[in-house]
Amino acid sequence: MSILAASSTTATFVAPHVEFGKLSPMLIAFGTATLGILVEAFAPRKQRYGIQVGLALVGIAASFAAVLALAGTTASVVAQGSVAVDGTTLFLQGTILVISFVAFLVIAERKTDQNQDAFAAQGASVPGSAAERETTRRGWQTTEVYPLLMFSVGGMLLFPAANDLLTMFVALEALSLPLYLVCGLARHRRLLSQEAALKYFLLGAFSSAFFLYGAAMLYGYAGSVNLAVIAQHVAHPTAGSTLLYTGVALLGMGLLFKVGAAPFHMWTPDVYQGAPTPVTGFMAAATKIAAFGALVRVLDVGLGVNSAENVWRPVMQAVAIITMIVGGVLALTQRDIKRMLAYSAILNAGYLLIGVTSTTAQARAAVLFYLPVYGVAIIGAFAVVTLVRDAGGEATDLSRWAGLGRRAPIPAALLAVFLLAFAGIPFTSIFIGKFAIFQAALAAGSPDLVIVAVLASALAAFFYLRVVVVMFFSDPLPQGPTIAHPSIAVKTALAVAAFATVALGVAPSLLLHLANNSAGILAK
Amino acid sequence: MVSVHALGAVLAPLLVRKLGRAAFLVLALAPAAAFVWALTQTARIVDGQPIEQVRQWIPAYGVSLAFRLDPLGLVLLFLASGIGALVLVYCARYFDSDEPGLGLFACSLTGFAGAMIGLVLADDLILLFVFWELTTILSFLLIGHYADRPTARRSALRAVSVTTFGGLALLAGVVILGQDARTYRLSAILAHPPHGTTVTSALVLILVGCFAKSAVFPFSQWLPGAMAAPTPVSAYLHAAAMVKAGVYLIARLTPAYGGDPTWQRLCLILGGATMLLGGVRALRERDLKRVLAFGTVSQLGFLTAILGAGTRDTAFAGLAMLLAHAVFKAPLFLGVGIIDHSTGTRDLRKLSGLARSMPALCVVMCLAALSMAAIPPMLGFAAKESVLDAFVIGAEHGTSSYPYMLAVFVAGSALTVAYTCRVVWGAFAPKPGVADTPVHAAAWLALGPAGLLALAGLVVGIGAPMLNDLLSGYADAVPGAHEVHLYVAGWGGFGLPLLLSAIAWVAGGAMFIVREPLLRFHKNHTLPEGEDVVNNLLLALERASLQITGSVQRGSLPVYVGSVFLTAVALGAWALVYGAPWHLPSPVPWWASRTQLAVAVLTCLAVICVPLLTNRLAAALVTGVSGFAVAILFLVDDAPDLAFTQLAAETVSLIVFVLVLRRLDPSFVRTQRTSRRAAHLLLAVSAGVVLSALTYVAEAARQAQAVASGYGELAHESGLENIVSAIIVDFRAWDTLGESSVIAICAAGVTSLVFARRAAGAFAVRSRPERAEAGWLAARPAVLQRSLPLEVVARLTYHTILLVSLYLLLHGEYGLGGGFVAGLLAGLGLVMRYLAGGRYELAAAAPIDAGVLLGLGMALASGTALLGYAWGDTVLAPAHFTVHLPVTGSLTVHSSLLFDFGVYVLVIGLVLDILRSFGSEIDRHIAADREAAAEPTEPAPEGT
Repeated sequence: MSILAASSTTATFVAPHVEFGKLSPMLIAFGTATLGILVEAFAPRKQRYGIQVGLALVGIAASFAAVLALAGTTASVVAQGSVAVDGTTLFLQGTILVISFVAFLVIAERKTDQNQDAFAAQGASVPGSAAERETTRRGWQTTEVYPLLMFSVGGMLLFPAANDLLTMFVALEALSLPLYLVCGLARHRRLLSQEAALKYFLLGAFSSAFFLYGAAMLYGYAGSVNLAVIAQHVAHPTAGSTLLYTGVALLGMGLLFKVGAAPFHMWTPDVYQGAPTPVTGFMAAATKIAAFGALVRVLDVGLGVNSAENVWRPVMQAVAIITMIVGGVLALTQRDIKRMLAYSAILNAGYLLIGVTSTTAQARAAVLFYLPVYGVAIIGAFAVVTLVRDAGGEATDLSRWAGLGRRAPIPAALLAVFLLAFAGIPFTSIFIGKFAIFQAALAAGSPDLVIVAVLASALAAFFYLRVVVVMFFSDPLPQGPTIAHPSIAVKTALAVAAFATVALGVAPSLLLHLANNSAGILAK
Repeated sequence: MVSVHALGAVLAPLLVRKLGRAAFLVLALAPAAAFVWALTQTARIVDGQPIEQVRQWIPAYGVSLAFRLDPLGLVLLFLASGIGALVLVYCARYFDSDEPGLGLFACSLTGFAGAMIGLVLADDLILLFVFWELTTILSFLLIGHYADRPTARRSALRAVSVTTFGGLALLAGVVILGQDARTYRLSAILAHPPHGTTVTSALVLILVGCFAKSAVFPFSQWLPGAMAAPTPVSAYLHAAAMVKAGVYLIARLTPAYGGDPTWQRLCLILGGATMLLGGVRALRERDLKRVLAFGTVSQLGFLTAILGAGTRDTAFAGLAMLLAHAVFKAPLFLGVGIIDHSTGTRDLRKLSGLARSMPALCVVMCLAALSMAAIPPMLGFAAKESVLDAFVIGAEHGTSSYPYMLAVFVAGSALTVAYTCRVVWGAFAPKPGVADTPVHAAAWLALGPAGLLALAGLVVGIGAPMLNDLLSGYADAVPGAHEVHLYVAGWGGFGLPLLLSAIAWVAGGAMFIVREPLLRFHKNHTLPEGEDVVNNLLLALERASLQITGSVQRGSLPVYVGSVFLTAVALGAWALVYGAPWHLPSPVPWWASRTQLAVAVLTCLAVICVPLLTNRLAAALVTGVSGFAVAILFLVDDAPDLAFTQLAAETVSLIVFVLVLRRLDPSFVRTQRTSRRAAHLLLAVSAGVVLSALTYVAEAARQAQAVASGYGELAHESGLENIVSAIIVDFRAWDTLGESSVIAICAAGVTSLVFARRAAGAFAVRSRPERAEAGWLAARPAVLQRSLPLEVVARLTYHTILLVSLYLLLHGEYGLGGGFVAGLLAGLGLVMRYLAGGRYELAAAAPIDAGVLLGLGMALASGTALLGYAWGDTVLAPAHFTVHLPVTGSLTVHSSLLFDFGVYVLVIGLVLDILRSFGSEIDRHIAADREAAAEPTEPAPEGT
């Protein structure tokens, strides 16, 4: 038997030019995730936790260093026009990384729950089965969570940077799929957690499908998925606009789902409640930042032409109004702190949408400022929730929190700081954020939105403060929940979150300045 | 100065821990210093030289730390710092050193004094708002000091909710105003006030904020509720300081906007209404503190009406009244606090004979009460005279609303007189049938502040003209007549104002005497009050919230998905309507051939059948019809390859579907109401219609040439005749490689999900295939009912199927076939064996691990790709090998065939894997369950 090699027959293949330097934050994140999988495969079970946590934190730090190194470089569109590295991108990437770092500190916590983390010993075992008892007895840990979440972080870094719809879709899936999984891995109340994951996955899959459908429609309209090309076609239309509108509508559905805006908010309370609390915090903060980044880019770069803005703006404003009303009104009756924070997240999505629909550089800066300050506060709030525990995991029912302020003044005070910040009380960062957004919206000429926002805020203040009242002004329950003593990592995370919330409320200039500088530059 | 207070507030807990209640004396130094400083600046301010201090804060938004001291600010500064200092001194005796939470209280109170001073000095609207909200939050802490009392909790929450709502309205108004004026500096806005409709809406919002803060109707109810606070707090926050913030802001903006009709009307009408309602309520109360609280509400309404009236004279009189009110109301509260402290009650039916037991206190409170009832020569009288004077003059100048206002004021003043009598009578008079209340003596340090303030009311009342310059300094900025000023002891001679005052005294006294029948009348004819309005509103909102939660947010996935689709339909319809006229350059014909139409009709019928079926399996099968119909459509369009592949894939997926579904209840759960089902039907139909329309429009909008147009030549170029194969293994080989990995990963996922159900550690043994036994149709455990003829036929055809699949694989380059479809076919052979003979038969048919096949397939596909890199120039570069076989001669093998072979093996592996896990393994689970059900009471093996 003899083998003769034959020469190739087709034209030479030109490798695409890829600016690896500019992509390095994302590459580092994805690389860390991949390494994490190898660790999962080869490291002994006992050492995996330490290696994974260390690896993830180092990866995030390295990626952040890469973002810092890129700061100040000229804005450019790289990787064959598919990724835009500009001020907005870098600002959001830096924010996501900082938030992820804090979130990972909370996620990796093992001291609050008898040396176990918040995740099921083995995700695949049926709740209540012999297998579950066995794996728990052996002390298995789902350390796959760390590489999974690193993939999610990578997706989040790419999402706001994506300059074409396909890259954006890939980023969307990269950030979503791991989260669907991790949501179902709570150690306690596993059925609730799995139900949440299933709902999140199914609804998320629908929304991704809508996104893809919308991207296809826009491709049909413009002949390209590149945002800049789409913008050109919108500015100088060559065909009817039905495809454009359809595409915008469907694409918007996909993005608004991730943002958690009404009427695509339905999943939020269920998922926030069911998911392991540290992951909920991570999701609430980081996903929102990434999704808003992507939304801003699509609307400002792809559809930022006047003729298109006039079409989508009324719709988006309606969405903003419905979102604020839904978030504010439904939160009133919540008895579960996680669900209440979920509705509060919806409400905040509404505020952010006000900024997004204004499409001025000032409004963009306001959104950029709001995202990190909100993200830090919400992570802090969920971190406090992880500390208040009952026999069956966290005690999330508000009635159990009565008098917490006396029994555990520090966690309760921290939560109060975050809640007051959500309520928009001065000298907290979110007050400045709200102020910035309101001001931008007024400058852009939509006082009606601001008035709805104010009414919703007033409602919100009521339910935030009610929690404060329950914590500080009620008598402690005789058999109330125990307060876990967290490790130094979680203490650090909480301290950072609280400090940032207050410091950015008193002296916001630095971050505002940064946001202003970053918002002005959108690579096209 | 504000920072001194901040420092004091931070140190307060420490001081309290060290010094106990004496710490308040130290803390009082901070507002006292402010007061002294203000005194030293008075001359300069009266001369018309305001003091300014500006620092940058948020330059990006033009927000600065701007402070400015002018006559209005100075008056308020006197109140905030002077009464603040006195109240802090009073605290040093009011509280016990070991009271819980005293540190926090001291911190809040000192901080509050600082915030209040900041508020009246702020010259930046945003800064003002910041202090405004700070006072709200700190007052929340102060009101909630007696946290163990549920009423305190509720009132604290209500107070803070109402004022926060107002604060947010204020923020919106302030931002709108600032946007319009292009600056947030108050002095700049007052110098060049913007006008227009936006500004008017901003003013309304600002007024809402002011009314909420100053407890003006309809926001008045929180203030009496807030009386659950310790008395010093009531005296300071609810008489002198915080509630004055709203009135202060009205006064601050009146020079610019007093002429605005909306502004005037809102202030006059709501202020007047509040004055009357509060006064009436004050008569009904039995708790001394609540009487005073409603009295405060009434007075705040009064102040709002005067200050918002918007002429120079009213502004002048309003500021005088504001000063007077603070000076007489604070000592009254402090006095009530002493009574409460010494007797343990504030119920005016239980207090008796205190005039004898506490004479000093009686004198102090009577002095203050005289001022409140506007009896000469007190400051209250002087101020009220000036108010009446201002309105009389205004009415003479022809302002049509002033006569009505005068009537309201007189009525309100009469009420004031009446409830003043009630306070004094209630606190000190001996009551028939009530024993004298036992008391313990009050400390002079507690009485001192009250006495000082009451005395100030007398002294300043007599020397009232010395205030003229200061008050004019503010009021002259307001346009209007220039006639009102304060007289010595308020005595401006006989005239209409004095007559009106006299009417008020007489009427008030009469009302006090005949109060019982009046109150009965009032009780029967009462209007809905602010409390009810707010509570009802909140209740309604909560109910709405509950209902919405119950109907759409109850965790039901169908409802969630339904709402997502509803939105999709709405947005799709929007796009269709908005996008009209549609641009359809290449319209699509409705059908190309009769067969197509027939198939379409068949598909539609099948789809309609699906929701009507009650059996899961039947529904799954009928769903499959649409898949097969698509295969027929491919066939009609001359794409046998696609049709064949579609057919095979549909069959395999149907079988997988059935294998999975058999563990579920065979029929669907149908408990939904007809209405819900009708809604679902409607949604489904409309979604179908809109999406079909969108599809049509999208289809017909094609402008560019189809991408497939050049594929025939390209395929030929790469040496392949079958375009589909060419796409799979050549043009889109990367995609195929990627999809192959997805298939492999899916298979692994399926395996782990199904097999990992067992106990941990079971992985090691899980995938060893059942051992195939030797011999044809050997006897096996009768787990499944076997059909012998079927099994025989399956065995006979199995190898033929494999052979055909190999043929398809090799033939793929030139004609019908390809790795994927060949693999599916071979898989179907396995399926047949399994269905015929169960898991043992499957094991016999494929005595190899699925994982091995998957791995082999993956290795082949990616190996070929890498070989292309090694021998060609890129990954997946096409190549061909010529193999000389000894008998049949030479055979040219394209690298694509090897690649395709990888896909083939992979697909077989997938099918085998699915059969193993969803088929055999679940069979085993079923068998195990059945066994377990057969012997339900198995004793537990061992202890723990």
